Amino acid sequence: MPISRRAFLGGAAGAAAAGGGAWAALLRDSLEAAAPTVRPSPTTTRAPVTTTTTAAADAVASSSARLPVTERVLVVLEMDGGNDALNTLVPAVGRYHDARPKIGLSDGQLVTLTGVEYGLHPALASLTPFWEAGTMSAIAGVAMPQQSRSHFTAKDAWWSGVGGSPSQTGWLGRWLDLSLDAERNGVDDPLRAIALGGGSPALVGAQTTATAIRDPAAFTLATGPGVDEGGLVEAFLATASALNAEPTLAAAQQAIPGTLDAVALLAAAADSDNLSAYENPTPGAGRTAVDLLSTAANIIAMGIGTRVLTVGVRGFDTHADQVENHQALLQDLASGLASFFTALEASGDLDRVMVITTSEFGRQIAENGSAGTDHGEGGLQFIFGPTVAGGIVHGGYDLGAVDDGGVPPVVDTRSVYRSALEWLGGPGGADGVFEEDPAVLGLLTA
Amino acid sequence: MQFNSTREQVAFLARRATWGLAPGELDVLESLGVTATIDRLVDPSSAGLGEEASAWADWNFVYDRSDRKARRQQDMEAFERWMGRLLSTERPLDHQLAWFWHDHFAVSMQVVRHLPAMLGHLDLCWSLGRGDVRALIRQVTTDAAMLVFLDGATSKGTAPNENFGRELLELYTVGVGNFTEADVKAAAAALTGWVVRRRDGWKVRFVPARHDDTPQTLLGVDGVHDADTTIAAATSSPACPVFLASKLGRYLLGDIDDATVLALAATFSNADLDISALARATLGAGVGGAATPTVLAPLPWLLQAIKATGAHVSTAELANTLRSMGQLPGSPPNVGGYPGAATWLASSATAARFSAAIDVARATPDEAPALAAARAGDWPGLADLFMRPAGFSNATMTALEDLKPSVSARPGEGALALALASPDLLIA
Repeated sequence: MPISRRAFLGGAAGAAAAGGGAWAALLRDSLEAAAPTVRPSPTTTRAPVTTTTTAAADAVASSSARLPVTERVLVVLEMDGGNDALNTLVPAVGRYHDARPKIGLSDGQLVTLTGVEYGLHPALASLTPFWEAGTMSAIAGVAMPQQSRSHFTAKDAWWSGVGGSPSQTGWLGRWLDLSLDAERNGVDDPLRAIALGGGSPALVGAQTTATAIRDPAAFTLATGPGVDEGGLVEAFLATASALNAEPTLAAAQQAIPGTLDAVALLAAAADSDNLSAYENPTPGAGRTAVDLLSTAANIIAMGIGTRVLTVGVRGFDTHADQVENHQALLQDLASGLASFFTALEASGDLDRVMVITTSEFGRQIAENGSAGTDHGEGGLQFIFGPTVAGGIVHGGYDLGAVDDGGVPPVVDTRSVYRSALEWLGGPGGADGVFEEDPAVLGLLTA
Repeated sequence: MQFNSTREQVAFLARRATWGLAPGELDVLESLGVTATIDRLVDPSSAGLGEEASAWADWNFVYDRSDRKARRQQDMEAFERWMGRLLSTERPLDHQLAWFWHDHFAVSMQVVRHLPAMLGHLDLCWSLGRGDVRALIRQVTTDAAMLVFLDGATSKGTAPNENFGRELLELYTVGVGNFTEADVKAAAAALTGWVVRRRDGWKVRFVPARHDDTPQTLLGVDGVHDADTTIAAATSSPACPVFLASKLGRYLLGDIDDATVLALAATFSNADLDISALARATLGAGVGGAATPTVLAPLPWLLQAIKATGAHVSTAELANTLRSMGQLPGSPPNVGGYPGAATWLASSATAARFSAAIDVARATPDEAPALAAARAGDWPGLADLFMRPAGFSNATMTALEDLKPSVSARPGEGALALALASPDLLIA
C-alpha cells in the first residue's frame, strides 16, 4: 500500500508546528534530544557513502515489491522516568490497596488476565488479546544489580547491562559489534540500529554506529532555493574525508557520513511502496508511542536491514497527580503497540519482531501526599513476540518484605536481555555481551 | 588545549564565555590581553560597562491563562527578548552563567506552563547566578516555577513528595554517591509546606499546617527542619563545592582532570562559595591549558554564527532552527538538563546543522565581512571571524578549496554555508 512521504515522516501537524513559529507551540512539541550513538572508532570499516548510499537508495526506490526479509528485529520500548509497575500490572493480593488509598486501582477497574493473580491497568485493555493469544508475558520485580533510585545512575545501568561499574558501551551496542562480522562482513551500516524519539545509549558500540532520529519529520537535508544541494552535500562529506588527530573534532567528522547515508536511505525508502499499513489515530500529536511506533512499523516494513530499534517515550516520572497522567501514558503505549502489531501482521512482518519494554526503576509501594509515587526499585517489563512463552508473570512483587518502600528486586533484567538477544541472534546470540551469563528465565518457547 | 598566541587565548575565552563576537571584536579583546579580557567578562562594571536590567524588566503584560492567542504572542515575545539580550549584551558571561544555572536546575516551560513564573525563575538564574551560590539555591528552592516543576507545591508533612529533595542532593548540590536514601527523606520532610497559589498570580506561601517541622538529620547535620536549614546543610557539605566546581568547570572548559577540579573547588570554598570567583578561576585555568575541545550545543553554535555573519534571522526562524536542532531554550528534556556533547553529534542534530548553516548563510547580508571572506576564498580570515584564529582543519580547507563557486547563486554563500556546517565550527 503506497503511502506518501509525508505520512511516513509523521504527518502534517509536525510541519505546521515547524512553520508556525510560536514559542508556545514549539514548547508543546517534544524536544528530548537524540542520545549519544556516534563515537570515535578508528577501527571501524565502513563502505564509502557515495557508493553504498546511492546504490542502496536506488535499489530501495526502484523495487516496488521488496525481496522477502527474514532477519529478525528487536524493538526496545524505553519508558523514561521510572514506570509505576504496581499500577501497570496490579497484584490482586497483598498490601497494595492499603498503601495506595488515593491512586490504587480497585479490583473492579482492572483488566483480568487469564491464569495469573494480577490485573492490567484499564488503559492497557487493548493488549489483552496478546496475553490471551500467548504472545505476551510480564516480568515483575525486575532490576539491575545494586538498583539505583537515581534516574541517571539507573538508566546508565539499564542501558549498559553492566552491574556495578560504568561502561562505555551499551548491551545492544555490544551485540551489534559482536555480530558485525558474521552479519555484515565487518562493514558498519548506520541503519542496522535506529533510535527513535531520543536516542539510546544502549546502542553505543565500539565498532558500530547507530542512527538517532529525534523527530522523523525533521530528518532531512533542506537546502532551499539558490543552492546546489548535491554539491554542498558532497562538500559536507569532504569535511569528514581525513580524520583529524584531535578526537573531538574527529568525532564530529565521523558523524557526517553515517548521517548522510541514513537521510538518503530513509528518504528513498519512504518514496517506495513498502511502507506498512500503520494507521495512526492521532497523527503528528507529538513524540508519542503512537507516533514513534508508526515510524518503527514503517522502518521494519521497508526491509532496509534494521535489526534493532529503540523507541523512547517520556513522562513516566509520576511524582504527582498520577491517576490522570499514568492513564494517558499507558493509553498511548497500548494504542501504539496494538496498532504496531496490526500493521506488522498486515505487512507480513509480525513473525520477525520482538518487543521488550524497559524502565529504569519501579516506584515506591506507598503513594505520597501529591497523589503520586516516588522513586523505588523493582520494576516491570513486558515482552511480546512470536516465540514468547505467553501468559506468564515471571518474578513478582514481594510487598510483604518492604525494603525502604521499594519493591524488592527478584529478577535481573539481564536475563530478559539475554533471551531477547538469543532470539535476535540465534543460539549463542548473547555470548560475550555480558560479564557473566545471566540466568535463563524461560521467557521463550523455543 | 595549548595556545600559540594571545589572540588564540582570547578567542578561546570568547568561544566559551560569550555568545559570539561581531567582526572586529576579537581585535579589541586581543589588544586588552588575557587578564583584562577575563576581568571584563567576570566584572564588567569595574571595566566600565553599564549595568543591565532583566531582559523582561520593562515589559508589562497581562497574563491570562484562558487567552491562548495572547499567551502564544507573549511566549514568543519572551523568547525574542531573551535571544535578543544574548546577542546584544555587553555582559555575556552573566548570561552564560544564567544559562548554566538554567541548565543546572533544568526547570522546563513544558512542565511549568506559566510564563511569568518561568521568567521569574530565569531572572533568579541571571540575577543571583554570579553571587553566593547558597542564596541562589535557597531562592530557587521556594521559587514558584521550581515548586511546580519538582512537586514541592504539593508536598505535605503527612506524606512528603521526594522529587525535589532527591534532585536537590543528586543534581543541585552534592551529587550521586554523597547522600543516602535517608537524606532524601529528611530533605523531603523539611521542605514540606510550601504551596503555590495558582489562582492568586502564582504567589508562593508557606503553610505551617502542611509542614513537618520535626528536626531531621541531613548529611550529618542535626536540627534540619525547614528550607533555610536544608539548604545550609546541603551547601555546607564538603562535596558541594567539588560537585559545583566540577560542573561549571566542565561547562566552560570541557573534560577537565580531577586535580583541576579540586583546585577550582578549593578556590570556590575559600571565596565563600562566590560564583564569580569560581568563574574567574575556571577561565584562568582554561587559558592556562586545562581545557579540552568541546562540542557546541545548538544555541551557542547558532548565536556564534549569527554574531559573526550579522545574519538577519527572524525570531520565528531562530525558534524553528533551535527546535529542529533539538535545543529550544526554556525546555530541557528532563531534570538532568540539556543533553551532552555526544547528542549534538548524533544523526538528527548533524542533519539539522547542515540545513541551519545554509539558512544562516542565506540570511547573511551582502556587505558582511564573512561573506566577503568566503567570496574571496580568504579561509584564514573566515576562520578568524568565527573566533578560530588558528584556521580550519585540513579536511575543511580542502573541501572549501574544492567547492565550485556555482554551488550557490550568490557568490560566497555556498562556501559560507559549508564553513558554518563544518565540524570545525561545531568544536569550541
